[in-house]
Amino acid sequence: MTTETSTTPTATPLAVTSHRPVGPRTWVATAVVNVVTAVLGVMFLVPLLWVVFAAFDARAGLKLEWPGTGFSFDNFRAVLTPETTYRPMWNGLVLCVGSTFIAIVVATLAAYPLSRFETRYKRPFLLTILFSTGLPITAIMVPVYGLFVQLNLVDTIGGTVAFMATTALPMSIFLCKNFMDGVPLTLEEAAWTDGASSMQTLRHIVLPLMWPGLSVVTIFTFIGMWGNFFIPFVLLLSPDRLPASVSIFTFFGQYGSVQWGQLAAYSVLYTLPVVVLYVLLSRRLGGAFNFGGALKG
Amino acid sequence: MRRRSFLTYAGLGAGTVLGTAACGGGSQGGDDSSGAIKVAYQQWGSGTVMKDYLTTVKSAYEKANSGKTVELVPIVASENDYYTKLQLMMRSPRTSPDVVYEDTFLINSDITAGYLQPLDSWLGQWDEWDQFQDVAKGAAKAADGKTYGVPDGTDTRALWFNKDLLTKAGLAADWAPTSWDDILAACREIKGKVPGVTPINVFAGKAAGEAASMQGFEMLFYGTGSTLYDPGQDKWNVGSPEFVDSLRFIKTIFDEKLAPDPSVALDAQVGTRVQEEFLPGGTLAIDLDGSWVSSTWLDTGGAPWPQWNDVMGQAPMPTKDGSGDGKISMSGGWTWAMTKNASNADDAWKVISTLTSFDNNLRYNINSAAVAVRKDVAADPTYTGSNPTLEFFSSLVPVTQYRPQNTDYPRVSNEIQVAMEAVVTGQASPDEAAKAYDEAVKGIVGEDKTATL
Amino acid sequence: MATLTRPGAPSGPQLRRRTHPVRVDIARALPLTPAVVLLLVFLAGPILWCVYAAFTNTALTGAGSGDTQFVGLDNFRAAFGSEAFGNSVVLTLVFTILSAVVGQNVLGLALALLQKRAAKVVRTLVGITVIGAWVIPEVVAGYLWYAFLAKDGTLNEVIGVLGLGQNWLYTLPIIAVSLANVWRGTAFSMLVYNAALSEIPAEIEEAAEMDGATGWARLRHVTIPMIKRTVTTNLMLITLQTLSVFGLIYTMTKGGPGTKSQTLPLYMYEQAFSFSQIGYGTAIALVLLAVGGVFSIVYMRLLRED
Repeated sequence: MTTETSTTPTATPLAVTSHRPVGPRTWVATAVVNVVTAVLGVMFLVPLLWVVFAAFDARAGLKLEWPGTGFSFDNFRAVLTPETTYRPMWNGLVLCVGSTFIAIVVATLAAYPLSRFETRYKRPFLLTILFSTGLPITAIMVPVYGLFVQLNLVDTIGGTVAFMATTALPMSIFLCKNFMDGVPLTLEEAAWTDGASSMQTLRHIVLPLMWPGLSVVTIFTFIGMWGNFFIPFVLLLSPDRLPASVSIFTFFGQYGSVQWGQLAAYSVLYTLPVVVLYVLLSRRLGGAFNFGGALKG
Repeated sequence: MRRRSFLTYAGLGAGTVLGTAACGGGSQGGDDSSGAIKVAYQQWGSGTVMKDYLTTVKSAYEKANSGKTVELVPIVASENDYYTKLQLMMRSPRTSPDVVYEDTFLINSDITAGYLQPLDSWLGQWDEWDQFQDVAKGAAKAADGKTYGVPDGTDTRALWFNKDLLTKAGLAADWAPTSWDDILAACREIKGKVPGVTPINVFAGKAAGEAASMQGFEMLFYGTGSTLYDPGQDKWNVGSPEFVDSLRFIKTIFDEKLAPDPSVALDAQVGTRVQEEFLPGGTLAIDLDGSWVSSTWLDTGGAPWPQWNDVMGQAPMPTKDGSGDGKISMSGGWTWAMTKNASNADDAWKVISTLTSFDNNLRYNINSAAVAVRKDVAADPTYTGSNPTLEFFSSLVPVTQYRPQNTDYPRVSNEIQVAMEAVVTGQASPDEAAKAYDEAVKGIVGEDKTATL
Repeated sequence: MATLTRPGAPSGPQLRRRTHPVRVDIARALPLTPAVVLLLVFLAGPILWCVYAAFTNTALTGAGSGDTQFVGLDNFRAAFGSEAFGNSVVLTLVFTILSAVVGQNVLGLALALLQKRAAKVVRTLVGITVIGAWVIPEVVAGYLWYAFLAKDGTLNEVIGVLGLGQNWLYTLPIIAVSLANVWRGTAFSMLVYNAALSEIPAEIEEAAEMDGATGWARLRHVTIPMIKRTVTTNLMLITLQTLSVFGLIYTMTKGGPGTKSQTLPLYMYEQAFSFSQIGYGTAIALVLLAVGGVFSIVYMRLLRED
């Protein structure tokens, strides 16, 4: 069930890279664009420098200092242990990949009728889940713990995954619906008249066209979970099940002292999975870059 | 075909959830039949002192009581989060630990909430209970007169000072002030003779949190002979002139620029900076702080400083005018307590008594540089020789005071920080700030529970 | 191509104006089932409990824990009567409007538009940097901004020549945390706009370009109308996210100095977890929810106006 991509507005970078008109005015304009973008990039980079420098500085403090003579991999050596990094990272991946996957699948399914059909219940339903996005999760963790005790789900990876996925649902349903709205209906209508089911059209027509949006939802959901401390902290008891977002507090001492260098090194490692995810998915993000240029719609 | 694909999709989400939930591994509820005694404690940062100590106790206990096991439940978090989780766990018999590590600052709330059970029936038959100092025994005593926890160590507070800077200012290297005025005079000397150095740090304001209330305000206020709360009458002290006096001292050091700039003093990281930056860097002469400060400077600490003991001296905090004992200190500390839902109370008690026995307590106090609460530990040469400041800080135990053992204290403490901050920033005079505090306390505890003591 | 652009138009099947029986409605709603089940099981119950708790003195510890009392509107009365609460509401609005509605939203759109026309290497590096700011652990982001804005921090060294050096966290705390939140959160808006812009058919842009429309005019009359729905959705989502930002502010200022940066989530945390007043804390959470609701309704109105 392939669709003729030629007539569809896909997210090919062709749309991006085809802006190559010649002429001095555009050449200047392009240069200006590049400079402005680079300047904005540098503004984002400067605060990040501390993490990079401190990670390689055995005597790191809170001040931005070139490691210089203190340059070493000691911080990485110190944190690269099963206790501090490997196991928490693995736990975090299990939790976050699992719950991201569930959230995306469930949200995509839910977004389809919300985007494609009109019913009386749609608006109240959307408004309800939208409101629930605004609820600070910390505030509901007390009853959630009680619920988990009742369901005997405390300290289970499965229960925690299910709950984390649920907390991400309102946002992801909303985003999915929004990106789905951007996919034109004409193709689907044609498919429907051919007798395809809505699930088939969703899978073969809508999803391929909303990959860029779906990538955003995926990254967003994953990051939200990856950085979440409070949910796993409350719902999991055994230390060997806790994810990386909880073990980061290993670097904070009893009386306010912090192992800055190790914290920075750990942060570098901590961000890697998300950066990898971004790089993997960025080929799908039309506006962003792509590797090698070869790209399926 | 159509039907199947639809079901596949619809079922995928729900199925995954139920599937993962079902095979998520066994929960560790308290209803397990293994009979293990679960010990919950706060895992501080990278320090392994508590963990090592508990691991040793665990194996000792299991060896002495064959067939019995101890399960350690570390909770990796800041104190607020530690308590949130602990209280959630204790709410349900299924997840409740048996033995918990409780801060004397908050244990009363948990007693009131009915999370803990009194230990009197066991303590009465425990011959080692006499070894605990009376003042420490009171740390976990509730309003009902029963004892709910066995203390494992305490801390005291005093003046840390930089001998080099004091001698530069013409003061003695064994400086020992005998009144608030003595302290102020010394600070003024330092300010005049050693430019570029902050004479004194007294924690003040919300950012420093409990450190401001306890190391800062209460070290002054309890040195006036007054008290925040009278357990006998169950009344909080309002309209107290001593309260204003203490705030006035704070105002003086900030107005005369004897203390750090407010932008430093009211900063979220002030505690860290004092220990890691100002004291080792020689930019701060005197610091009103806790007995644990030197642990930051040990090789195992966050900011190693090999020369710390040559540079830093300690002096007791004097009372306002040298009356009473002439010196004052405040103490906190932690206790081992037993939960209401303990699966086997007698075994849980055995674990607590093992945790606080002479050998184990000695080792723990040495490794954590805590002030001993057992007389036999305090007198032990291996203990007194383990850290050069222990003897000094232990000597303050007889004059030390504990914070109000009352459920409302954490909120009252917050109001103390607000009052201090208002004075530091000049938003309010000491009188106005004290009035605002009085009103706030009446709002928290009810007017009928306040009086001028 | 007209069918491609339906900003705000009702979606397809409605075009057929078929009245379908209930059975069809149910069949069509089936894909919603897993979402509804999860939301009901894991969120609806706890939220309802929160609504109930807001009217009690329930606490995690202390008297309200052992013996929970129904206190009616007391929590709300106490909140609306307290200065600290009013201060938190104002700060929350300032923080949200500054850092989300203005900062993240505008900067995110600007970055997405710029990236579309920038050279690949610039695009890539800037993209990774902005994303990096987003994925760094919140607590670390808080510390590095603390270090960045401190009196002897990087920012003051950079602008030191202007003689503006000061402790920004002390002088302008809410501005400082807003700035940090813009830095941290812009990536999301950038990605959303990247995706939305990539959905705009190139033909349309080219047509506008052929007509000689300048950059601004193209942006105003072609691009923005095409992504209007995304703008609204994005605003809604980042507003709701920003309303509940906690860790960043807590690390940078702990809500201080005094209560000068104590937004509602920090106030709630202090009441619910430092003072264990769960009932009062959840009442504040409901207020936060209401604030989010007001924002959402405003955005919905904006969306419907066309």
